[in-house]
Amino acid sequence: MEHSFVMQCIADPKPSARRYPTVEKRAKVFNGTSYVPIPEDGPFLKSLLFELRLLDEDRDFMESRDSCSRINKTSVYGLKVGGEELWPVVAFLKNGIVYACVPLVEQTLSPRPALISISAISQGFELLFGIQDFLYSSQKIDTELNTKLSQLPDLLLQACPFGTLLDANLQNSLDSISFASVTHPQKQPAWKAGTYKGKPQVSIAITEKVKSMQYDKQDIADTWQVVGTVTCKCDLEGIMPNVTISLSLPTNGSPLQDILVHPCVTSLDSAILTSSSIDAMDDSAFSGPYKFPFTPPLESFNLCYYTSQVPVPPILGFYQMKEEEVQLKITVNLKLHESVKNNFKFCEAHIPFYNRGPITHVEYKVSFGQLEVFREKSLLIWIIGQKFPKSMEISLSGTVTFGAKSHEKQPFDHICIGGTAYLKLHFRILDYTLTGCYADQHSVQVFASGKPKISTHRKLISSDYYIWNSKAPAPVTYGSLLL
Amino acid sequence: MGLLSREAWAQRLGAFRASPSAYMAAPEGEDLGRDLLSDLRSEKLSEQTKVSMLALSLEYPAQLWPDAPAAEAAATSLLDTLVLLPPRPSALRRPLLLAATTALVTGGVLGPTSGASLRLLPLLLGLASGGDLGRGFGPSSEQRPLQATACECLRELESCKPGLLGGCLGLLRGLLGQEGPVAPVQPLSLLLALALRNTLVIQARARASLQGLLTVRAPPPGGGPWNWTLAQEGDAHLQPQAPSWPAAEEECGLSALEPSPEEARELRAAVAQLLDTSYLLTPVAQAQLLWLLGWALRGLRGQPPVLFKPQLVRLLGTAQLALLHAVLALKAAFGEALFTAQDEALLLRRLTLAAQHPALPLPAHLFYLHCLLSFPENCPLGPAGEEAAPLLLEPQLCRGLLPNLLHDPLALLARLHLLCLLCAEDEQKEEKGQAQSPCHYLQELLAGLQQRAALTGGPRALATLCFQASYLVALCLAGHRTVLAPLTHGLAQLYRARPALAPHFVDLLDRVAPELGEPLRVVLRQEVVSRPGGGEALRWHLQMLAKVADRDAQSATLGFLQAAAAHCTDWGLQQALLRVCRALLRVGVGGGLADLLQALARQLEDPDGRDHARLYYVLLSHLSGPKLGVALGPSLAAPALTSSLVAENQGFATALMVQEAPAPIRLSVGPQRAEGPVPVLQLQVEVLEPVYSLELRFRVEGQLYAPLGAVHVPCLCPGRPARPLLLPLQPQRPAPAQLDIRALYTKSTGLTCYTHLPPLPVKFADLFLPFPKPPEGARLGFFEELWDSCLPKGTESRLWCPLGPQGLEALVSRHLEPFVVVARPPTSYHIAIRLPPDSKLLLRLEAAQADGVPVVLRTDAWAVLPLVGDYLRGLSAAV
Repeated sequence: MEHSFVMQCIADPKPSARRYPTVEKRAKVFNGTSYVPIPEDGPFLKSLLFELRLLDEDRDFMESRDSCSRINKTSVYGLKVGGEELWPVVAFLKNGIVYACVPLVEQTLSPRPALISISAISQGFELLFGIQDFLYSSQKIDTELNTKLSQLPDLLLQACPFGTLLDANLQNSLDSISFASVTHPQKQPAWKAGTYKGKPQVSIAITEKVKSMQYDKQDIADTWQVVGTVTCKCDLEGIMPNVTISLSLPTNGSPLQDILVHPCVTSLDSAILTSSSIDAMDDSAFSGPYKFPFTPPLESFNLCYYTSQVPVPPILGFYQMKEEEVQLKITVNLKLHESVKNNFKFCEAHIPFYNRGPITHVEYKVSFGQLEVFREKSLLIWIIGQKFPKSMEISLSGTVTFGAKSHEKQPFDHICIGGTAYLKLHFRILDYTLTGCYADQHSVQVFASGKPKISTHRKLISSDYYIWNSKAPAPVTYGSLLL
Repeated sequence: MGLLSREAWAQRLGAFRASPSAYMAAPEGEDLGRDLLSDLRSEKLSEQTKVSMLALSLEYPAQLWPDAPAAEAAATSLLDTLVLLPPRPSALRRPLLLAATTALVTGGVLGPTSGASLRLLPLLLGLASGGDLGRGFGPSSEQRPLQATACECLRELESCKPGLLGGCLGLLRGLLGQEGPVAPVQPLSLLLALALRNTLVIQARARASLQGLLTVRAPPPGGGPWNWTLAQEGDAHLQPQAPSWPAAEEECGLSALEPSPEEARELRAAVAQLLDTSYLLTPVAQAQLLWLLGWALRGLRGQPPVLFKPQLVRLLGTAQLALLHAVLALKAAFGEALFTAQDEALLLRRLTLAAQHPALPLPAHLFYLHCLLSFPENCPLGPAGEEAAPLLLEPQLCRGLLPNLLHDPLALLARLHLLCLLCAEDEQKEEKGQAQSPCHYLQELLAGLQQRAALTGGPRALATLCFQASYLVALCLAGHRTVLAPLTHGLAQLYRARPALAPHFVDLLDRVAPELGEPLRVVLRQEVVSRPGGGEALRWHLQMLAKVADRDAQSATLGFLQAAAAHCTDWGLQQALLRVCRALLRVGVGGGLADLLQALARQLEDPDGRDHARLYYVLLSHLSGPKLGVALGPSLAAPALTSSLVAENQGFATALMVQEAPAPIRLSVGPQRAEGPVPVLQLQVEVLEPVYSLELRFRVEGQLYAPLGAVHVPCLCPGRPARPLLLPLQPQRPAPAQLDIRALYTKSTGLTCYTHLPPLPVKFADLFLPFPKPPEGARLGFFEELWDSCLPKGTESRLWCPLGPQGLEALVSRHLEPFVVVARPPTSYHIAIRLPPDSKLLLRLEAAQADGVPVVLRTDAWAVLPLVGDYLRGLSAAV
């Protein structure tokens, strides 16, 4: 139950907001003397932006913001409002939009109850995540954002008429307006606005993102991890069609772990529930097939997420950077692992230089691909292309010279100080997963009228794939120290 | 205002939303509520415009219809509008229902005396049960959404008035169980769950039974009166509650409810019915249902929580925040009864995993991390209400939850907290100093944070983060020298690298406990005073020094200040320098400081600076140490003011100026002394609190007496008898007077106070002095000589002095003894009184009778005659 919800695009000074006076009325009773009324949108927003450090007044030390004892460990804030503190305010910034709401606390606020004991906190998060998903579900974000923003009031009237959230999936609420006239002989799930009419088809897409931190150091272990998302779109007739999808691994595939499923999944094998990256790996790890029985919603949804620990990173490399008088001397070496499909949609290595002036001069030698120089951005991009050469190993060496630093133009970074530097790999391989995970068309069971057409897709994408300069300190995770 | 166009309404609504209070304060605000209601019926406005008007009324009913009658009228009008809609599809029915509900609730009019309530409730219940309401509720295509809306409205009404639907439980159960074309499951389920919970709570509080409420299926409305009984009991109980959380175990008190076996069976059936269809609800609604049912069944006898078990595995697998949170609520509510030790371990693992799963957003990670540290354990060990790592959360499991420099500030602090908790445990286990020990990792992390904060020109947020982390570490690991020592060292290095962070250091020193604060203070002082006095960073050094300076290392500090003085060329720097001097004054640094202040008083360019230096010098040389501390200490008078100058002035005002205060002193006149050359008043003094350096000042109106000297007392304490104070009087005329008294004193806190005491009377008799006694034989002659000398300049008078039962002898011995010259007891006395400055009063009391004595008196001061008369007449009364 929310008192109020406020959303604000940083660029647009006028917030979209919704208030719930009946909830506020209850808050007054529940909170008793500790009740703080919600201010009007303007003051609320100002206080919120201050708290989130989004007001452009960072220059001087301000106790109310910078004091060491004002520690926030969650996205729940107390806002200073006319000498009192409005709490709890759930708020976060995403893609330039601030999302915020004030959940109802059904007890007195002093002493402050623990967040875990307030049911409306998670409901508040769900509301905000739901709005964020709705706004960003489309590819053509810029053009559609305004349309979607203008739809919000009507959608909230539908999905949250009295401040109690009925459905975090706003797209579903939008659909339910158009499906309203259908009468139902059977019990209809609330998360499914209507029924599908047309040719049955099921589409399954597995996207794996691989991230890595490579140091090329004796005392620091490299880390890498695969994160998979299985997305489904089931166009099937009937109110509650049942579908089972099985994910399989090849013989030497890496077991899936940390599996989180969509709420429409009706049951889960305990082996799926317990396979976790927290535990030390052993050979007895469950390696599938991973069965997911579910009744699909109308829209495309993420059936499950998983992580996996593959034995080697797809591309292993090192990066050495040394300051030599006025110039930097760099050496990069990258090696594609032989087990990885050598057919990229694209593959690039971005080598940024932070906290320095613009690039004035580059001398380099590449064994493969080409180098692009972005002088003003102090950035080198090594375009590797679609394939690694037969040797699977490529290298780059060169020297870079910089001009005088001018503060506005060149990028600032608070990690890359002195010799600390990284290169970041960007690549994509289609029809491939690093774990080997795949959804076999024949293993998809559909209990619905008509034989559906089943299509499957796979891809591997790099994400946060860093190779750190091995000649200088680099930020490490705790896991990297456990050699 | 007449009918408005679409554009006019859009503009009006926009203006209102921009600032509701400003709009309603302006003249155009007055009619908004009324216009809105009437224009809803206008045929010229589009439905879209009307929906936006209704949306406004949903958000701001209290502004539009501020009092109960207005809210009642608005709800009635909205219901009329609803009924008058033509029977074709309309987007207005739903918002009209919502608006009428909102108006009734926020206006506080929902109840048996409100006509609108009595119309709305049967209407909603009729819609919810899918009954045919005839024309006006038009097309059947709208029936289903309206059914859902009606349930939502009823749920809101039940939330605000618990027990309202207590009589409809059976009906709702029936609707939910219906076969065939069915009512929407989610709104009905949530409505039933809420009404069920509220009924259980109300009946338990009233110690009543369920009275078959779960089974009666007869629909109450349809003309019959609404049953308000439960709601009226419930209304008094809409009070703070902690749903489903163990801390509120005692208040829950559902155990008072003792359902009969049949009722228990029905209740179980109702809950099972709700849970069985819960998969049809959206995830957020499922979570609400679980919270409500968990709350409803907690502590209720004969209701085993195993009903929830089939749902748990499904819920544990999801990534949905609300669902996992609801599982935690069930865990808190039922503990071991629902979760075995293995279940608990699994839940903890899922939570640990969710707190770091790369597919989930950061706010969810942080919330899960909070849940992990507040985890409702089956067998909690630590104190309740404090964040702590649960017992089953082994350090091994937390590996992925530890912070690193790449984390966002919120995540870094949250994970740092966990790391500190691990370090606190770790310390006890091992002291090997391994590279991968959590404490070692913590040190590396802090060093990294310090390095980032040291970046010149870096954003303040980075510095703030470093200090927040330091604070958190000092808080969690206060007793851990192995962590605090390197932290202190690192912070000192940070200061060396970036003195501009001085305000952060001052803030940190203000807030941390002495375990970190004291060593940090010492190293920072060394850091500052070991530098040459000039440079760009001087203002930061001075700010820092004002915080850390104390009696230690005086000479180094003074040396630094002397060197710095030459560089303090502008007002700001001079003030900063003087603030350090002031801090030194406070802590009692003497000798060298006086020289420095004298030098500054001559040398500083700014006159204000020179004045301050001189003032401090004067204070240093004139005030004792404690007084100086008080004078320069934090001002009590102006705690809210942050300006140092104002605070300083206020501080001086309280400390150095005299404060008016209620008197802790009581004065009274003691017995008469009647000796010596002048009359002396004996004053008795009592105090209620210790008083030092008391000075009493006396004044007499007019010029009756010569100016009176002050009386000084060094120290007075309550309960310790004080010697009487002697106040010599020098009358100009022999006349009584009022003494006006003021007291000036110092309190034990060092403050000087001033107070006006109640006046004391100086009576006529207080001025009496005896004549020097002549030798025994010459007394009669002496008296006769005085007697004769009064005339002819003076006067003679005869009075009757009444006597009390004790007679003349007692009267004389009590009041006139010192002045008797010739006595022939018991009947005759000759009395001579000296009246300063130079008058006399002679009395012959002779031939006393039983009830009085005739008095012949002579005096050389005419003016005293009436006083003598009053005096003598008053004597007998005074005996």
